[in-house]
Amino acid sequence: MVEITVDGKKITVPHGINLIEAARLAGGFIPHYCYHSKLSVAGNCRMCLVEIEKVPKLQVACNTTVRDGMVFYTNNDRVKRAREQVLEFILVNHPLDCPVCDQAGECKLQEFYMQYDLRESRFRESKSHKPKVVDLGPRVVLDMERCILCTRCVRFCREIAKSDELCVSERGSRNKLTTYPGKALENAYSTNVVDICPVGALTSKDFRFKRRVWFLKKEKSICPGCARGCNIEIHHHDNKIFRLVPRTNEEVNQCWMCDEGRDTYKPVLAQNRLRSPMGFEAGQRTQFSSTEIMPRIQNALSGIAGIDGKSIVGIGSAQATNEDNYALKKFLEITFKSKNLLYHKNESDHPTHDNFLICADKNPNTNGIEALDFVKINTNKKFQAFFILGNLPEEAIKKIALEKKRVVIMLATHDDEDSKWPDFVIPTTTFAESTGTFMNIQRRVQKISPALISPGESRSAWEFFSDLSTYFGKENPIYHSAEAVFQDIVEEHLCYQGLTYKSLGETGKVCP
Amino acid sequence: MILKFSKNSKTKIDEILERYPNKQAATLPVLFIAQREFGHLSREAMEAVAKILETSYAHVYGVATFYTLYNKKPVGKYHVQICGNLSCSIMGGENIQEYLKKKLKLNFGETTQDGKFTLSSVECLASCGTGPAMQINEAYYEKLTPEKVDEILNSLK
Ligand code: SF4
Ligand code: SF4
Ligand code: FES
Ligand code: FES
Repeated sequence: MVEITVDGKKITVPHGINLIEAARLAGGFIPHYCYHSKLSVAGNCRMCLVEIEKVPKLQVACNTTVRDGMVFYTNNDRVKRAREQVLEFILVNHPLDCPVCDQAGECKLQEFYMQYDLRESRFRESKSHKPKVVDLGPRVVLDMERCILCTRCVRFCREIAKSDELCVSERGSRNKLTTYPGKALENAYSTNVVDICPVGALTSKDFRFKRRVWFLKKEKSICPGCARGCNIEIHHHDNKIFRLVPRTNEEVNQCWMCDEGRDTYKPVLAQNRLRSPMGFEAGQRTQFSSTEIMPRIQNALSGIAGIDGKSIVGIGSAQATNEDNYALKKFLEITFKSKNLLYHKNESDHPTHDNFLICADKNPNTNGIEALDFVKINTNKKFQAFFILGNLPEEAIKKIALEKKRVVIMLATHDDEDSKWPDFVIPTTTFAESTGTFMNIQRRVQKISPALISPGESRSAWEFFSDLSTYFGKENPIYHSAEAVFQDIVEEHLCYQGLTYKSLGETGKVCP
Repeated sequence: MILKFSKNSKTKIDEILERYPNKQAATLPVLFIAQREFGHLSREAMEAVAKILETSYAHVYGVATFYTLYNKKPVGKYHVQICGNLSCSIMGGENIQEYLKKKLKLNFGETTQDGKFTLSSVECLASCGTGPAMQINEAYYEKLTPEKVDEILNSLK
């Protein structure tokens, strides 16, 4: 530890950090463009100039390390003046097309100009012009004129994605950010460059021109794309999701997420979301209301002679939350004394994976569902009644279904081939409409929270099972919140010992 | 097309690599070897350099395009680079520039039809004390006069 003085405030900070981080610890902020805490230091934007006592010239804070006894100023007149000048230079060739720029509203150029400059341009010559719509790859578009050449994106590709696809070509006012001619920016993490670009030079094809950022509301959640469970923010407006962006969790995803994960919101908005319960009436697939469907389910079950705990099975889902799966488990246990718990998960023959974030297991909650004592479908036992979480092809239960009369109740999100066959289909929520928890590949239990109101009569599985319980008149717990379900999980499962829903915080807790 | 370095160049590259902490650090000298060997830095030449240095195409491209001393386009057998900077100009460099243009019937950046000469105007050649100066391929010519230029060009076969 070393003792330093930042703007007159004495503070002890760890040895070896730079002045930007030190100022942060002192509760201050040094504006910067090229510096990024997860990337190597480039020191090219000069926005972070500070005055250090006994050093004649202003120094860049990003490339200066704290020394014991160091005294520096981040906001005195000299620093402020230098900052204005740096900004003036950066803006010399900037197109200032904010009205049509996606970054407007979250642009460091706009923000710092408002905070530190606010002067009229003295530049009367013509600005240098460069290509404005450059297709860099499948997900990213570049506006070369807006680029301030901070090289964050170049360093991201070199140091984090390890693909080294970008470079700055040529020199001086001809400088261009580019890929090697003819090659695309197509690493599996490419959209992160859009997030770290401090200006509107790099934009996401998916998000471009869809919504001004100041309309977006933000909900903290977890990416359901794979077992990593990257922490994310769901950006939404008008009950629609516009983008998913990474949220910092040093233990899980730092501040990154993969491109595949960015697309996981799309099924949420699909046209074929289930909106109301479905059943069969005189052989016809028919829509019912939530209240109508309950007694029918009860009748169907009691209509099977000799049905008991042994012939009923719950098929949970590694896509669903712990709370939804647990509610299913509890319902079967108390109502039917059934301990038949199987689960299904998304599987593909050649799943993408790497040794950074992307996991081959494309389910957010495989560890979670196994901790709840569900096992993968691979038994010889035959069952007559099925409670299934999530869309599932009929094929999947062929081997475990008795030939004779059977009843299948499915909680499904989408109206597709996999939800057309069951006797009863209950519309349920996707991750973006659910409250609850997932357990990731490191056994970290992390919370998700709902960004959208779920379509039609769909609701969480735990809500549905609470309701259904009342029809069966058993001692089932009626839950009013996912938190209450979680509390029961903790009480019943050793590995959760000591956890509470609140203690999970924003970044989760690891189960031993 | 994959370009291959000659044995000679390969030995030189190996010698150079020994002097650097890592292969990528040798980008500049190896690019020069490639330019000498292949005439100019075509895509294929840059890719060959990237492969030998075990670095990305993008990195090599960024470096190669930064320096005007690397020719990204084919040049003639003789690349005549006349200084257009201040000291040379004071010493009559502008006249020499015009003289060269007329004599070779070229504008800057152009190559004669027979592929013999390319004419370029370049920044200071660091030969200011003996201006006007020019560089043809890797040789320097100083204190130029039109007569001297004639003599030099005639001597080039
Ligand atoms: S990057 Fe976009 S928002 Fe920022 S100042 Fe430039 S045009 Fe405006
Ligand atoms: S595109 Fe953005 S991140 Fe990349 S160098 Fe330009 S300003 Fe920086
Ligand atoms: S942040 Fe320090 S020079 Fe860019
Ligand atoms: S100005 Fe011509 S060599 Fe320096």
